[in-house]
Amino acid sequence: MAQESLDHLIRTEYAAGFTTDIESDTLPPGLDEEVVAFISSKKNEPDWLRAWRLEAYRGWRQMTEPAWAQVGYPQIDFDAVSYYSSPKAMADRPQSLDEVDPELLATYEKLGIPLHEQEALAGVAVDAVFDSVSVATTFRHKLAEAGVIFCPISEAVQTHPELVRKYLGSVVPPRDNFYAALNSAVFSDGSFVYIPKGVRCPMELSTYFRINEAKTGQFERTLIIADEGSYVSYLEGCTAPMRDENQLHAAVVELVALDNAQIKYSTVQNWYPGDAEGRGGIYNFVTKRGVAHTNAHISWTQVETGSAVTWKYPSVILRGDNSIGEFYSVALTNNFQQADTGTKMIHIGNNTRSTIISKGISAGRSSNAYRGLVRMSPRSSGSRNYTQCDSLLIGDRCAAHTFPYIESRNPSAVVEHEATTSKVSDDQLYLCQQRGIDTEKAVSMIVNGFCKEVFKELPMEFAVEAGKLLEVSLEGSVG
Amino acid sequence: MPDYLAQVLQRHPQNAPPWLDAVHREGRRSCLARTLPTPKTESWKYTSLRALEQDNYAGLPTPAQAPLETHYHIDGFDSYTLVFVNGHFSPALSGNALPEGVELVRFSEADEAQARAIQTRLGEVAQREQSIFTALNESGLQDGVYLRVKPNVRLETPIQVVWLTTPQSEAFTVSQRLLLVMESGSEAELLEYFTSDTTQQNSFTNGITELVLGDNARLQHYRLHTEQEQALHIGGVHASLGRDADLNSFHLATGGALKRIDIVVNHAGPGAHCTLQGVYLLRNKQHVDYHTCIEHRVPHCTTDEVFRGIVGGAARAVFNGRIHIHPNAQKTLAQLSNKNLLTSAQAEVDTKPELEIYADDVQCAHGATVAQLDETSLHYLRTRGLAPEQARVMLSFGFINELLNRIADPAVATHLRPLLSDFFGDGNHLAEPPV
Amino acid sequence: MLSIENLRATVAGKDILNGLSLQVKAGEVHAIMGPNGSGKSTLGHVLAGRPGYEVTAGSVAFNGVDLLAMETEERAREGLFLAFQYPVEIPGVSNMEFLKAAVDAVRAQRGEPPVDSVAFLKQARAVCEQVSLDQSFLRRGVNEGFSGGEKKRNELMQMLLLEPRLAILDETDSGLDIDALQVVADGVNHLRDPERAIVLVTHYQRLLNHIEPDFVHVLAGGRIVKSGDKSLALELEAKGYGWLEEEVA
Repeated sequence: MAQESLDHLIRTEYAAGFTTDIESDTLPPGLDEEVVAFISSKKNEPDWLRAWRLEAYRGWRQMTEPAWAQVGYPQIDFDAVSYYSSPKAMADRPQSLDEVDPELLATYEKLGIPLHEQEALAGVAVDAVFDSVSVATTFRHKLAEAGVIFCPISEAVQTHPELVRKYLGSVVPPRDNFYAALNSAVFSDGSFVYIPKGVRCPMELSTYFRINEAKTGQFERTLIIADEGSYVSYLEGCTAPMRDENQLHAAVVELVALDNAQIKYSTVQNWYPGDAEGRGGIYNFVTKRGVAHTNAHISWTQVETGSAVTWKYPSVILRGDNSIGEFYSVALTNNFQQADTGTKMIHIGNNTRSTIISKGISAGRSSNAYRGLVRMSPRSSGSRNYTQCDSLLIGDRCAAHTFPYIESRNPSAVVEHEATTSKVSDDQLYLCQQRGIDTEKAVSMIVNGFCKEVFKELPMEFAVEAGKLLEVSLEGSVG
Repeated sequence: MPDYLAQVLQRHPQNAPPWLDAVHREGRRSCLARTLPTPKTESWKYTSLRALEQDNYAGLPTPAQAPLETHYHIDGFDSYTLVFVNGHFSPALSGNALPEGVELVRFSEADEAQARAIQTRLGEVAQREQSIFTALNESGLQDGVYLRVKPNVRLETPIQVVWLTTPQSEAFTVSQRLLLVMESGSEAELLEYFTSDTTQQNSFTNGITELVLGDNARLQHYRLHTEQEQALHIGGVHASLGRDADLNSFHLATGGALKRIDIVVNHAGPGAHCTLQGVYLLRNKQHVDYHTCIEHRVPHCTTDEVFRGIVGGAARAVFNGRIHIHPNAQKTLAQLSNKNLLTSAQAEVDTKPELEIYADDVQCAHGATVAQLDETSLHYLRTRGLAPEQARVMLSFGFINELLNRIADPAVATHLRPLLSDFFGDGNHLAEPPV
Repeated sequence: MLSIENLRATVAGKDILNGLSLQVKAGEVHAIMGPNGSGKSTLGHVLAGRPGYEVTAGSVAFNGVDLLAMETEERAREGLFLAFQYPVEIPGVSNMEFLKAAVDAVRAQRGEPPVDSVAFLKQARAVCEQVSLDQSFLRRGVNEGFSGGEKKRNELMQMLLLEPRLAILDETDSGLDIDALQVVADGVNHLRDPERAIVLVTHYQRLLNHIEPDFVHVLAGGRIVKSGDKSLALELEAKGYGWLEEEVA
């Protein structure tokens, strides 16, 4: 590959990297029980939730940061992080979009996420989370007609405490792991979704997360409950401004798919990845997990192009008989990005099925690892897993890794894992060039072809966005 | 550190030549500076060392004489054979037709020049700092085998080294060591046989083998583990391959209370090739753990690795196959396949094929499966009149026979077939027909 | 020898055979023809006892015994042989080992001792030659890496060695060139015997140019809609299956 054209391809600006000048209400850095209690009281939470947070905090204090992932970064000083930041104007939550700070609305417009309902994408309800608080949720009325609850989780705590109390932490226990414990202690907001029995959610639900404030951590918490026989498709998008320092993001997402329910969860993660020298960017340590009950179906689709460091394993516990878990992932790393991502499929019920399709693309000096676990427990009879992990390397200074753990304890279960690695070959580029296609376009075509199996799982609007995102993220990686 | 280990580390190996003292010291130092792995140690996640606590393995290995040849004799395998029983060389059991162009001495009989050569090369490939068990091996060495094949010598006669154990009154630990140095352009065949008599064993064997292949050297290597199931083993094979060297290494383990074998191959010269094959068969409460690691350090090397296992009873098989492509190891071709048949509801298979890649112009692939016998094949055999059980046996054996068919030396394959088919029950009808 | 009465069978919940009846006597050669999807292959698999092929009604007597009550291998030992349209590959199990196990299983049923290895090898080599397969195929894994035609010949070789009482050939002629077709026809003709019955399941008439059937049946919609002598095959060749389906409908 010609080095010049590759280099030139890489120099692309992070399009979502502006900051928003809004006065905000930010806690000074540092974390102790008082901070946890402050967050809880700020949100006017019931006692049980405050106790739950404190319990998580005490657990977290005893835990150590996991070191097993194939990522390296300077020790995080958790006392230098601010655990709560709210745009000032939000102190009294707006009752309608008219009350939302116009600066905020403008921010989302810039991101291409118009919050005004009349302008919003037809059929997509949006919840927007800015730093730590939810600023607006669109189409609430229409959703309410169908009985669907879609609101900030802080609001759900007040309006649907029984649902929150029953399911919060039921999939990811407060002490599940270091970052989940931290999140449980300090989570500020996030989305809450409940789909009643037998209801097919009338539109796509979507949340946009944006980190704005410097030195803040973002700890959102998402809880989605699909009651028996219901269906929901949920989209999640993420951006952050360009800053020289690293910002911490430690989210928890819990999915509960009750009998015969289906949850489709799609993510386009485009947190600021740091600059070409590896300065700045988001540290993304996320715990995402779903429980699939009898005949339930959970699928995770993710397109990950952002963050300086990604540590993320959207998983499915296949608890009920005949449940289905799927994981479709494209993870692209460029420059100095590091990603350690994959999934866990825990087969417990009989005749459960899981499919894992992972596409890792490494460019620049980045490192991209797939880490996955497929476990067939002794009572999971007749279950199957199929895993396909492919890596594509662009340039000779990047790294691609595959660490699949397979644990089988049932003689009627079948687990199949395959992994391959390839490069964008000179022959492929030559062929394209000979047909008049320039190198950038050729690489983009090859990469898109490589990811095709995953893109087809995304909702239409997202698939287009994802394709463009890859193109932009790869700019300058070929030369 | 468990008591027996502390005791083992304190004593001085019997009858060891004085020049080994430095090795003992270093091994002991390295051991004492560390702790034993626990399930939290990534490379020991699925293998517990609890079996080592079932008995006090502090006893000294003592020489034994017994009619043991039936346990390792391979029909038609005309080899130069060294036999060690409980770590002691057994002249009565060993052949004496030393082939041309080869130095083959025991550490205990090495002359000054040979001792120097051994001291220089020992630990070059199997580094004590990499594993506490390599250090333990060094601390307890009383003897070992040094084999050097001179440049461009083609060894017609295979070398067989038998490490045999037989029970003693006290449970004991024995260190086995083999150092093979193949000079450039040499060719050889080496078979290591770890076995025992059939009575209940009380040994813990720590066997480390180092294979140093010079440029263009070719080695056909076998490491067979067929010990009685109470014999414990933790050890490994560490190889370094020079330019265009070719290592073909076949591994077999029938299950035991604890068998952990690390195979590390370093591609150190461009154009080197490694074929690695392994079979493991487990039942009862057996445990076998193969950890393989192929280090592609230089360009243009190839690796073809296949391991297969059949796991029944309440046994647990662990396989970890790592392929590590270093920066600049361009034009690497590496593939790894691990297939398992899980045949019982109490058994477990844990497998992890790993790729770690730092170069882009490479072709790497791995695959792993844990499954059952193919239903279509079972049906086909039944339509030809075979009983279901007979069909299962035939297919199970076929599953590993695919690897036995690739064994280069027909005498070894012929030796192993009935041995392994016995594993599936009455093996008579499985013997290769005289075609 | 074979008496099928009103046989109904389903595969994956779908009705495939819908009341099929057929009588085959020793010494006879029957050809069963029919369009794709008519249930031709299903018939062979139901008779051989393939898992997943469920008989919902009807009966099959084989030499007066209830065939459907027998396990797959018992049917084989009683002398029922199905030559598969798509034989499975079994790497690692040598053809020779497999053949001997099969022959011994049939012999054991008859109370005979296992065949002598040396004698059997000789016989197998001779049969190899008869079906124009190189002797190296005896050493290779069962069907492993065989071409389509080689697999068919391997099926034929098994049939010749097992000497079944009833041989069912499931589209053994499909995908064969003219030379291979001749080999198959010679093999079948070689087996023709007053004590033995042969059922040829085929889509095309051309096999019947080489093996003259005593009866020709047309299968459509899961049952036999027309029976006749060999001239029926020629009529089908000339007119296709359409007219029959119309006639039935």
